[in-house]
Amino acid sequence: MAFINSELTEELKKFGIFDFSACYNCGNCTAVCSLTSEDESFPRNMLRYSMLGLKDEITVSLKPWLCYYCGDCSTYCPQKAYPGELMMTLRRWLTSKYDWTGLSGLLYKSVAWNVFAFLLVAAGVIAYAVCQNFSLEAIMHAGHVFEMLAIAGVFTLILLPNIIRMWYVTTIRAGIHAPSKVYLRQLSELFVHMFTQKRTLSCDDHKLRWFEHLILVIGYLSLLFITVFLNWFETGSVLINLFGYSVSAVVFIVTFHFVLERIRKTKEISMFSRSSDWFFVIWLFLMGFSAFLVRLFIDLNLLEQNLWLYLVHLIILAQWALLIVPFGKWTHFLYRSFAMYFQRIIEDHSNLSKK
Amino acid sequence: MHEARSEVEFDALVVGGGIAGCEAALNIANNGYTVLLVEKDLSIGGKMILLSKVFPTLDCGACITTPKVSEIARHTRITILTGSEVGSISESDNHRFKAGIVKHPRYVVDEDCTGCQLCEEACPVNVSDQYQFHLVGRKAAYIPFSIASPRIAAIDMENCTLCGACEKVCPTKCIDFTQEEEHWTVSVKTVVIATGFELFDPLGMPRYGFGLYKNVITSMQMERQLAPTRPFHTVLRPGDGKMPDRIAYVLCTGSRDTSVGNPICSQICCMYSIKQAQLLMGALPMADVTIYYIDIRAFGKGFNEFYEQALGMGVNFVKGKIGKIIEKDNGNLLLRYEDVSTGKLHEAEHDLVVLSVGVLPNKSMQSVFQDLSLLEDTYHFIKQDDPILNPARTSIEGVFVAGTATGPMDIPDSILSAGTASAEAISHIIQSQ
Repeated sequence: MAFINSELTEELKKFGIFDFSACYNCGNCTAVCSLTSEDESFPRNMLRYSMLGLKDEITVSLKPWLCYYCGDCSTYCPQKAYPGELMMTLRRWLTSKYDWTGLSGLLYKSVAWNVFAFLLVAAGVIAYAVCQNFSLEAIMHAGHVFEMLAIAGVFTLILLPNIIRMWYVTTIRAGIHAPSKVYLRQLSELFVHMFTQKRTLSCDDHKLRWFEHLILVIGYLSLLFITVFLNWFETGSVLINLFGYSVSAVVFIVTFHFVLERIRKTKEISMFSRSSDWFFVIWLFLMGFSAFLVRLFIDLNLLEQNLWLYLVHLIILAQWALLIVPFGKWTHFLYRSFAMYFQRIIEDHSNLSKK
Repeated sequence: MHEARSEVEFDALVVGGGIAGCEAALNIANNGYTVLLVEKDLSIGGKMILLSKVFPTLDCGACITTPKVSEIARHTRITILTGSEVGSISESDNHRFKAGIVKHPRYVVDEDCTGCQLCEEACPVNVSDQYQFHLVGRKAAYIPFSIASPRIAAIDMENCTLCGACEKVCPTKCIDFTQEEEHWTVSVKTVVIATGFELFDPLGMPRYGFGLYKNVITSMQMERQLAPTRPFHTVLRPGDGKMPDRIAYVLCTGSRDTSVGNPICSQICCMYSIKQAQLLMGALPMADVTIYYIDIRAFGKGFNEFYEQALGMGVNFVKGKIGKIIEKDNGNLLLRYEDVSTGKLHEAEHDLVVLSVGVLPNKSMQSVFQDLSLLEDTYHFIKQDDPILNPARTSIEGVFVAGTATGPMDIPDSILSAGTASAEAISHIIQSQ
């Protein structure tokens, strides 16, 4: 027996927009979805769970991550209930559930907390610069060390535990005890989906979205790699330098287009933007753009006189690494690919059990 | 040259010659008043005269419409103008209305045509037949349909090649290619609007493939295939002329759907689909009929029993709106839906799909009233003064509304509504005297 929990709908409304009274349960959303299958059908069941407040059913479900938001369900919804946006809302909500620190929920729900956290990080960076007497060399060195520390720290302290929590609730708590050979056999799925997002290709909408997303992911990861491991800002190699310019350009050009689409609101996917969406695309844009400018100023020998530019870049970087990556929208990069991985494990395991 | 008739007086003008307009005209005339009935089509009887049978009694639509239609046609106090449109209505002196009417040329002298159909045989031009909802063809010289009233020929000048073949064979020499538009100005005491409804055009829902997939038809096309005056004498799918074995009904095509701009229920689709399903069980005893629905709305007297009768006859009812339709190479269709009772997604194969299209407002009266304002409701049907207490009154005193011009309703309700409108109209005539 299920108990109706009306508090969940109130909580979900803080994570997004959904008119729970609009849906009349026709199932059109599931039927028009290109990704739904006989065994894994959504989004209508997620909608029902949300309306009835069946928290546990949603928490153990991977379905919100299996949706890649082409927006067909919202476009063709006879009741304008926007089921696609509910799936987005559930992804935000799940992100806050997986996060052991609880900070995700705070930042998703409250713009004020976001502003406070972003200002706090900026103040920290400026304070550090003051301590170093605004010495460019010291700050740049510290910036590079910070990048490495932030990656290692955020990953081990926040992301890894959160992924383990996600794994626990969606497989173990759902009663899936798959042998380790299944985990190994499906490991390739994790990387395929992480680096190609090939599932988006099954969506009926424009393939441009997949391509843009793909080059953005590759551009972003490459930018991360060359700034952290190849030390782009201090390298003498022309090849690395040119590569750095091009990948940072890819990042800010694609994100500029994303920001523009969110302003224009012409597609379902860009029609509703929460603060988390804005922070994510704008900060990604600023990161690519400021990195590009910093290196340009270095090459033109202007950075010494324009220390502020590097400081701005460092502030953006710190906000990105300490707020958006661990607690913001960045996590969908991991959760989506791990969801596909866990989903394949569950399918593989159930096939094994059937045999 | 436009022939302008001198001003003619009538007590009432009825706009629209469907079942509601006919009923209203008949009531007013039977009470001793003169009526001008204006119909834009070539025959009166509206959509009802084209129906196979009517729910929930399974009476033959044509058989119960035609006596009423011929009663009106023979009535001494009713003047009928077919192929005509009301172009303007304005207020004139002594609480009367002045209406401008355009009678389009039929290119046949009405009084002389005997309906012998020799012109049809002689005409060399084949075009798609709108009265059979484009399932078959007709000639450019044609009688609209076999039980049309008036049963006289017309020349479809858009497609006519002016070869003169019909003129040569016509025994009464009634074909006249020189006819022009006639303009009438009439003075009336009251107006009854019975302009009916339009059917939703499923071309507006490309994901159902109508117009692209040959075996996706509308419910009106199925209605014609089941009617006594049907085109094929059996039920065939249009793609290859095969008798279908697995027929699907897609309810709420263009109704209860904000994504196509019509949020309201059409009130008739559930019942006419159930009716057609029962008729199909008789016409094709081996066929499976499945009705995909959101909710079955069987609210009228005997309606739920009619639904249960269909269940008992073996009609499949599946709760789930069809999301999209995909055509297979053999012309069969895959219907994608979520079975809401199990929560599972399915793709069902059918060899004929009937889209149960909904009711849309007929907006033809929008620009007719000149110095008067005829208000519409939110859905562009004609606004009733008070839908509960004064359902037949409009925003203009002396102008009344009958039938589906006010919103979706079935035949009994249309006739009831016409009764109310005619009673109001008669009382208005008496008061204005």
